[in-house]
Amino acid sequence: MTNEEIKGAVAEEDQAQSKKGLKKQQKEAEKAAKKAEKQAKLAAEQHGVEEEDFAKDRYGVPPMVQSTEKLDRALVRVQDLTPEKAEQLVWVRARVHTSRAKGKQCFLVLRQQQFNVQALVAVGDRASKQMVKFAANIPKESIVDVEGVVRKVEQKIESCTQQDVELHIERVFVISQAEPRLPLQLEDAVRPEGEGDEEGRATVNQDTRLDNRVIDLRTTTSQAIFRLQSGVCQLFRDTLINKGFVEIQTPKIISAASEGGANVFTVSYFKTSAYLAQSPQLYKQMCICADFDKVFCVGPVFRAEDSNTHRHLTEFVGLDIEMAFNYHYHEVIESITDTMVQIFKGLRDRFQTEIQMVNKQYPSEPFKFLEPTLRLEYTEGVAMLRAAGVEMGDEDDLSTPNEKLLGRLVKEKYDTDFYVLDKYPLAVRPFYTMPDPIDPMYSNSYDMFMRGEEILSGAQRVHDAQLLTERAMHHNIDLEKIKSYIDSFRYGAPPHGGGGIGLERVTMLYLGLHNVRQTSMFPRDPKRLTP
Amino acid sequence: MSMYQVKSISGDTKIDLPTCMYKLPNVHASRSGSGEHAHQNGEVDPAVRALEARQDEIMQRLYELKAAVEGLAKTVTTPDADLDATTLPQQGNARTVLTGTADLDSLLGKDPGALRDIVINAHPSRPPLSLLVLHSLLCQRYRVLSTVHVHSSIPAVPPELLTCLGPRHTHSFARQHFQLGFTLIWKDVPKTQMKFTVQKMCPVEGEGNVARFLFSLLAPGPCDAASATLSDSWVDTALFQLSEGGAKERAVVLRALNAALGRSPWLAGPELSLADIVCACCVHQSGSAPSAPPNVQRWLKSCENLGHFGQAYTLLH
Repeated sequence: MTNEEIKGAVAEEDQAQSKKGLKKQQKEAEKAAKKAEKQAKLAAEQHGVEEEDFAKDRYGVPPMVQSTEKLDRALVRVQDLTPEKAEQLVWVRARVHTSRAKGKQCFLVLRQQQFNVQALVAVGDRASKQMVKFAANIPKESIVDVEGVVRKVEQKIESCTQQDVELHIERVFVISQAEPRLPLQLEDAVRPEGEGDEEGRATVNQDTRLDNRVIDLRTTTSQAIFRLQSGVCQLFRDTLINKGFVEIQTPKIISAASEGGANVFTVSYFKTSAYLAQSPQLYKQMCICADFDKVFCVGPVFRAEDSNTHRHLTEFVGLDIEMAFNYHYHEVIESITDTMVQIFKGLRDRFQTEIQMVNKQYPSEPFKFLEPTLRLEYTEGVAMLRAAGVEMGDEDDLSTPNEKLLGRLVKEKYDTDFYVLDKYPLAVRPFYTMPDPIDPMYSNSYDMFMRGEEILSGAQRVHDAQLLTERAMHHNIDLEKIKSYIDSFRYGAPPHGGGGIGLERVTMLYLGLHNVRQTSMFPRDPKRLTP
Repeated sequence: MSMYQVKSISGDTKIDLPTCMYKLPNVHASRSGSGEHAHQNGEVDPAVRALEARQDEIMQRLYELKAAVEGLAKTVTTPDADLDATTLPQQGNARTVLTGTADLDSLLGKDPGALRDIVINAHPSRPPLSLLVLHSLLCQRYRVLSTVHVHSSIPAVPPELLTCLGPRHTHSFARQHFQLGFTLIWKDVPKTQMKFTVQKMCPVEGEGNVARFLFSLLAPGPCDAASATLSDSWVDTALFQLSEGGAKERAVVLRALNAALGRSPWLAGPELSLADIVCACCVHQSGSAPSAPPNVQRWLKSCENLGHFGQAYTLLH
C-alpha cells in the first residue's frame, strides 16, 4: 500500500508547486514530509517493504495456529542441535531468549526449556535487510518457528548450552508474540546471588518471582529444579514398588484432626465442618491393619501453621511410607533409608546436568551420603552436642539451631549429609509412639536429617489398643475423639512403623537451596494464596 | 588452743535481767580477741598455712616435671641413648612416657552414655589390611560395633569389601551396648584417614599412624624405647618401601625382614607387635609373599596361625 501512496503524494506536490504561492507550498511540503515520515514509520513498524524485498515470504507473523492445517514438518529439539547435524537445514520452534542487531546481521539466542542455541540472521541471498530488521524487533520471550542451516563454529559459544553449533536462519515466523515489556528479565532471574550487587546489576526478589511464576519457571534454574523434583518422585515410586510396596490414595477431607488439633484447616462441609488432612497417618495405618503389608502414598498435606520460615509451607506434597515389620522396627528404618539412598543415587547418576545448572545460580557442595545410611542414637547426638558446648537435658527435644549444629558435627566426623537419629525420648514424641522395651524414657522413634534439617519423623506405632489407650490417657487426649483410631487396632494389627517426607523440602535440601518456595511450583504459605 | 584458766573473780552472782527485751550474744566475744592475740604472737592463720603448703606442693611438682623433661631431653639429644637397650630400663622417665594403658576410659576420655566411635575412611582400591587385622584383635578384646559404609564419592565397591569386618553383630541394633565403634567408610580419599573426636583431635592420616593408634588401644606400648622405635621403623619401612616402593626396594626390605626373622620369631620384641601385623599385610599386598625368603615364609605362616588375618586376606586378589 505504501509505495503507491507515496508516489501519489509526490505528484500532488508537483501540481501544487506550479499553482500556489511559496507559503502554501512550504506548508504543503511540511505536511507531505510529515505524512511520508509517518508512513515510513508505519512501514518500518510493519516491517514493510520500501524497496523491493526479495525475502518477503521468508518471515512474518502468520495467522494464529488454530489447527487449520497439519504439516508434516519435523521440528528439531534445540538440545539435538549438535555438530552431527552440521550443514543440515532444520526447523526449530523455540523462544527468543535475547536478540541483538548489529548492522546487517542480527544474533538471536533461541531457547527451548533449559537449552539454548545461538542463531544468526544476516543480509545475504536468503535474507533481506527488512528480514533482519524484523528479526531484531521480535520481542523477547516470543515463540518463533525458524528454518536454518546448522553450522559448526570455530570458537565455542560460552553463553549457550549448544556450544559447538549455531543456526543460520533462512526463515522466521512468529507463532506467539510476547508483550514487549516483561515483568522480570530472565537474565536477572538467573543471576547468582551476590554477583548482581557487585556489578550493580539487578536481581529479582522472591516475591516478584512468585508473582510472575510463569516467567520465573522458564529460567534454566527453575527448569532444572522441577525436573529434578519430578525425578525424586519417580525414583521414590520406582524404588518402593520394587520393594513390594502398594501405592494408596487417602482422603484429604477428614472428619477429625489426625495429629493434635491446633494446626488443621477447617473447611465447611455441607451443614457441618470438616478438616483438611495434616497427614495420611491414620489411613496408612488402617491399610496396614487391612493387610496391605507395605504401603506408600504421594499427595498433598495441609498444615495450618502460621510460621513464615524458609522451610514451612501450608500445603506441600507428602511422600509417606508405612509398613508392617517382622521383629524389629529397624527393618522399617532400613527400608526407608535405602529408599532415600536409591533416590540420592538416582539423582546423582541421572540428573547431573540439572544439578550443575542449579549450582550455577545457587552454588552448594554436592550432596554426600553413606550406604547403608549412618544411624546414630539420640544419646550419642546429645553427647556430641555436649562435647561441642551445648547444654541440654537428656529428655530435651533438639532445637532447630542444635539440629543444624549436630548436622555439622556429624558431617565433620562421618562426611555425610544424610543420617538417622534413633531412639528419641518418649516425652517429645506423639502418643502413638512405641516406648522402648528396656528404658521407658526412650522410644522406638527416629528422625532423618538432610544437611542438618529434619526431613522425616517416624516411629514404630503402638499397634495394641490397650497400650494405645493408656498412652493417650497419659497425654490427656480425649479418648472419644480418637475412638475410631484406637478401634482399628482391636481386631488384630501387625507391628508396623513408618514416616513421611516432604517432597519440596527434600528437593531443597538435596540441591542445597535456602528456601522451600524455590522448590514448590506454586507455593502456599500464610501470606500467599496466588498464583 | 589451750590456755590456762583463771577462776572467776566475781563468783556466781546472778543478775536479774529484765525480760521485756531479747538477748543478743556478746559481739566482743573471746573469738575475735583470740584472733588478734594470735596475730600478735606471730602465729599463722591456718588458711594461710594451707595456702603455703599448696604452693610448696605445686613448686615440688614443677621441679619434678622439670626433672622429667630434662631426663627426656637427655634421651632425645643423646644420639645413642635410645639405642642402648641395656641402660634404658633404668631410665624411669622414658618408660612412663612410652607405657600406655589399655584402659579405654583413660585412653579415649570418659564419655558416659554414648558410643565411642572410631571412623576410618579408606579408598577401596587400597584396602588398609593391617587395620582389618587390628579390628579383629580389638573385637577379641572389647565389645566392638563394626559397620561398613560406602561414601557417595565411590560409585560401587566389590561385595567382599562390604563384609570385610565380618558378619553383623546380632545386637547391632542397640549401639549403646558396645564399648567401641569401628566405622569403616569406603571413600575417595588420597590417604587412609581416621577421625575420632572431631572437636579435640585432628584427623589421623596414613595407614601406619591409624594402625599405631588402634594398636595402642590393644596393648601397652613396648616398655622400652628401643623396641618402640624398632617397631615404628618397621611400620614405616613396610608402608613406604614395601607398599609404595619399586621392585628393588621391595627386595631389599624382604632381605632385611629375612635377616631380622632369623634372629627372633617376631620382628620387634618377644611377641606379636604392630610391626609384624603391618609388615605381614604389606608383604601380602605387594604380592611378594610367594617369592619371599624362608624365614619370612615361616613368619607369615605363624602370623596366619593367630587367626586374625583371615578377614584381611579375603580381600587379596
